[in-house]
Amino acid sequence: MLDYQLLEKLCKADSPSGFEEEVREIVISEIKDYADKITVDNMGNVLVFRKGMKTPKKKLLLSAHMDEVGLIVTDIKSDGTLKFAEVGGINDTAVFAKQVKVGKNKISGVINAKPTHLLSADERKKVPSKDSLCIDIGAKDKEDAEKYVSLGDMVTFDSPYENKNGRIISKAIDDRFGCLVLIEMIKSELPYDMYFSFVVQEEIGLRGAKAAAYTINPDYAIVIEATTAADVPFAEDEKRVCLVGGGAVVSFMDRSTMYDKEFYQIARSANAKTQTKTMIAGGNDAGAIHCSRGGVRTIAVSVPCRYIHSSSSLASVDDMESVFEVVKYTAERILSNVE
Amino acid sequence: MKEILKKLCIDKGVSGSETEMLDVIRELVGDFAEVSADGMGDILVTMGDKNAKKHIMFDAHMDRIGLIVTYINENGFIKAEPVGGIDLRTLQSSAVKVLAKENILGVICTMPPHLSKNDDELSKDNIWIDTGLSADEVKNLVSLGDKIIVCSEFRELLNHQVAVSALDNRAGCAVLVKCAELLKDKEIPCRLSLVFSVQEETSELGAGISAYSLEPDEAVVIDVGFAKQDGVPDEKSGKIGCGAIISISPVLSKKVTDKIKAVAKRLDMECDYEVCGGSTGTNADKISSSRGGIMTGCISIPEKNMHTQVEVVSLDDMEKTAKLLATYVQEGGVVNA
Repeated sequence: MLDYQLLEKLCKADSPSGFEEEVREIVISEIKDYADKITVDNMGNVLVFRKGMKTPKKKLLLSAHMDEVGLIVTDIKSDGTLKFAEVGGINDTAVFAKQVKVGKNKISGVINAKPTHLLSADERKKVPSKDSLCIDIGAKDKEDAEKYVSLGDMVTFDSPYENKNGRIISKAIDDRFGCLVLIEMIKSELPYDMYFSFVVQEEIGLRGAKAAAYTINPDYAIVIEATTAADVPFAEDEKRVCLVGGGAVVSFMDRSTMYDKEFYQIARSANAKTQTKTMIAGGNDAGAIHCSRGGVRTIAVSVPCRYIHSSSSLASVDDMESVFEVVKYTAERILSNVE
Repeated sequence: MKEILKKLCIDKGVSGSETEMLDVIRELVGDFAEVSADGMGDILVTMGDKNAKKHIMFDAHMDRIGLIVTYINENGFIKAEPVGGIDLRTLQSSAVKVLAKENILGVICTMPPHLSKNDDELSKDNIWIDTGLSADEVKNLVSLGDKIIVCSEFRELLNHQVAVSALDNRAGCAVLVKCAELLKDKEIPCRLSLVFSVQEETSELGAGISAYSLEPDEAVVIDVGFAKQDGVPDEKSGKIGCGAIISISPVLSKKVTDKIKAVAKRLDMECDYEVCGGSTGTNADKISSSRGGIMTGCISIPEKNMHTQVEVVSLDDMEKTAKLLATYVQEGGVVNA
């Protein structure tokens, strides 16, 4: 079993894009006794080399991103409330009336909501645009708020974590789960030398992965991610994309990448439950890695996750175990071909 | 006040399931006041001189809004409907707690962006809850009729404000408890009934029942009212920190309202006013027309984001309101009633 206590710690860390410090500290403290080389680059990516039993002719990179979606303070209004922008893709529905934490000191705040009693019938049926909302920290006025908050402060969800009967509900499973898989790989006995990157700023344009892939200069890459599952009661057939409980998701194509066909077959042949996506949806760091330098043969293995990019996403422990098995198997098979 | 409020802000007590609140109220006031419950579940706390001619009733509803389980499908998803005026907009992507044999965390089902259309309308007929558990596990733990609440944690904001769900009206309940504490070693010149009433959010049921049974000379209702915030008109709201909002309405007794105003003035409370053209939308509407009519007043604690999981009130306002009520009792309520 993967270390789910560590996953809880990783998910509870507050690290939206550009504020990856908390997760980076956890990652480094977990791997420092196992990794052969750890570098933090100029963007904040953690680049790791881990020696295995053999040195293959080609370089394999395993990558996951440390950042999560969040908000950022853009203005302090005269009444002491805070205007904000999204960091990464967040729906209006995910923000409305949520509890949040603001800044390094994690000041408690709430996203305001005009009382339903005062709305028109039409207004009641639609979640308002996040541009019309603000964060209330209880400040009396702008001057009072400025004692606690600065422009550019990060804002993260204040939401529960629960691991019960084999399912996990939490914020930031995307992609702290990927970080967990990388950490577990680094802690294990590897059959071959491998490179790892814990990257920044995936949610705002695959930025960290681009730099990490350049620096490590791999031949092959495996991206470990969480991906959207839409298997809810009002979605049918192919529109569900993938299923929670359906196993590790290996896609042939998404919005940013055509995946390597041989690696796809290898991943699907692992001795673990796998599925593929039934829609061309989503995208991840593979989009930046596969076209790095002279090209990198790339595959992504993801845990299916409902309500991704919200304060409460949901994923299955069995699926997580499957992803780990598929990643281990695929990494070994890819490198054994080039021994 | 904070500790009292924290104890009252439990998950349980969605309209129709208020019985669990009895233990909490007993723990808070049972040492110095008589606590009982009527057939509907209203909790009655009696203080003062039982044989006094004058009988004052304070009412705060203790139920909270929520959802109720109506169906479990073959994949274990739970269908639910609102209990009380829950704001459908707040349900999207929210964590909820199913109050079943074991409490289970769940999430309200939402469509991911690639499948949702911008003109999708929220509807109370399409609320599904995902616990992630198998259909067998769900059916084993959850029964039709179980209640569900939207999750939120008791969080302190700046300037003695707190944010959590169910402050409507656990804030009013906390004020009554504090009022009882303030009066416990004092001479009370009347009979005082503190009523923690059921099912306000669905039908104002409990207050009408208890007013009928208790037959008080006068009553004051303590609820939450709109606090000033973006989009809320000034005339319908009071400023957080003002102390309390005093209601003025045709259904309310001028004598009681004037008495409340006079006490507030003596205590140097600023207070805001809310004038209603008709009924108040609180238990005062039911109480004032109970039996042959009961003189009733209404005080509200300013609250932001009403009927959401991020309701906000000021602990200072609650302290002041408790003091106001205690003083009202010590002065014997409306003179010559």
